[in-house]
Amino acid sequence: MFERDDDTLTDVTARVAASLKAAVRLDAALDARVMAQVSALPAHRPGGWLGRAWSWLRRPRTFALSPLAGLAAAASVAAIVFLAARLGAPPVGAPAGGDRTPVQFLLVAPRAASVMLVGDFNDWTASATPLRTAAGGGLWTVTVPLAPGRYRYAFVVDGKRWQPDPSAPPAPDDEFGSPSSVVTVGGTL
Amino acid sequence: MTALRTAALAAGLTGLLAAQAAGQDPRLERLDPDTRIAVAGLVDSARASGLPAEALIDRALEGAAKQAPASRIISAVTTLLSNLRDVRAALGASATAPELEAGASAIHLGVRPAALTRLRVLRARQPLTIALSVMADLTARGVPADSAAAAVLALAGSLRDDQFLAFRRSVERDIELGAPPAAAASSSVRLGAGSLPMSNGGTSTSMPPRRP
Amino acid sequence: MGIGEGMSKDAELVRRVLAGDAAAYGGLVAQYRDRLARYAVRMLGDRSDAEEAVQDAFVRAYRSLPRCDDPQRFGPWLFGILVNRCRTSYARRARRERVVLHDESASLVAAVASTAERLDWEAEIAWALDRLDPPYREAFLLRHVEDLSYDEMATLTGAGVSALKMRVLRACERLRVLLKETDRV
Repeated sequence: MFERDDDTLTDVTARVAASLKAAVRLDAALDARVMAQVSALPAHRPGGWLGRAWSWLRRPRTFALSPLAGLAAAASVAAIVFLAARLGAPPVGAPAGGDRTPVQFLLVAPRAASVMLVGDFNDWTASATPLRTAAGGGLWTVTVPLAPGRYRYAFVVDGKRWQPDPSAPPAPDDEFGSPSSVVTVGGTL
Repeated sequence: MTALRTAALAAGLTGLLAAQAAGQDPRLERLDPDTRIAVAGLVDSARASGLPAEALIDRALEGAAKQAPASRIISAVTTLLSNLRDVRAALGASATAPELEAGASAIHLGVRPAALTRLRVLRARQPLTIALSVMADLTARGVPADSAAAAVLALAGSLRDDQFLAFRRSVERDIELGAPPAAAASSSVRLGAGSLPMSNGGTSTSMPPRRP
Repeated sequence: MGIGEGMSKDAELVRRVLAGDAAAYGGLVAQYRDRLARYAVRMLGDRSDAEEAVQDAFVRAYRSLPRCDDPQRFGPWLFGILVNRCRTSYARRARRERVVLHDESASLVAAVASTAERLDWEAEIAWALDRLDPPYREAFLLRHVEDLSYDEMATLTGAGVSALKMRVLRACERLRVLLKETDRV
């Protein structure tokens, strides 16, 4: 169908390609990180049996086989390949991403007997996340690990009084009768 | 049939439907049966459209926790679903759930969908969650929606997410100190664009000139 | 300038590494780091994903070095490993992040087309590139940014030459459509 590589770019796609050819610099420490990982691996050995076995397998060869012999040969080749794969490179694990960030919530309520944190992250369950106060103080706190995202929440004081977080942005109101606050946790998923 | 048996049958049917709906998500059992059915229907509709159902469930649970009337809960969830659809139309098919939810807050507060589309272009292939959240948060603090959107867009090409949060804090601090919200936003933009380090060294950071 | 130009130098370094001189691998990393970086960033659109993919590719290449058939062609062989890493990275990110939908975002194109303001060119390209499906983006980048031949691309991607030519053409068509409304002289 195509007689030659007649896909020379003209017009806007040429500009796109030209722009994309600009050099891209990543973090300068990348070389060091690669070499650190490399140096932690076993060094290659000259004439290692793994390399030799693989080269032997890859070399094209022609020989006659009876059907049964062919099966046996195939099985032994498969065994060697399997063994090579096992002893060779296990896949590099991906670094963990999407970590949760500890977020501290606090409320000053000197006369409160109890303060609960209620919000999207605990299904608005009134009893799930109590705040604690240092003895005698009116400063109630709790720290919750949160994945990146945006969460509505409020405090419930003494089991009955809804209290938004005075230090946080207000949540868009849904006219539920008491306002909530919003916390935004950064990072990538 | 006697009235009693009819009523019992009707109650049983409602309970059955409610149970079916509640089978969608056990948390919805906190709602009364009629609310549960309506919300479950909205949740199903969201799921069918690929929109984040969790956001709708959270909103219903908030209403239940605050013992809001059924009509308020259903109205809130319906509005949220509509906002999510609008955000998806503005941001495109690849928008993630956190982006949709943050965008829905912004739209609910009056930010125009075109501003979201513009944000996607200026911040291509980065998550927009934080930028959209900041738009919503500023508006919630009293900055007029258009001003909040304009402020975020002006900085969209040059700030990292953590810098966006710092920008929001600086606006909030000014508002707390008594500045009119719109003024606080625009003065922080001038400071932010001038003094914060650019996120991608070497790429163009010029702000697009506006057509008259 | 195609990849793998300093072939005999590469071959020498590869032989030294296989002989046990791990430090010699640093020379290969320095040689190819920027080329890999450029492709990975354009393909994935995310610098930290790209760094991870490039780092990953180098380490895998080191481990698999005995399986590199021709030390003189280390460059293209390494590039093939990177292309695969990028595919894995993209698929992983798509599973984590995306609400999976299949409707064309025609309304989005129209919205951008009606935007009155002139946009930053690089942002436009990034946006348009992101709107290409990964196989088309990959083919466009390999052919017209990395300047690989279709034969080399076939080896790297496992696709046939005709299929690759088709993908490149489609990618160009799509880029023209996407950028048409905003491309003002």
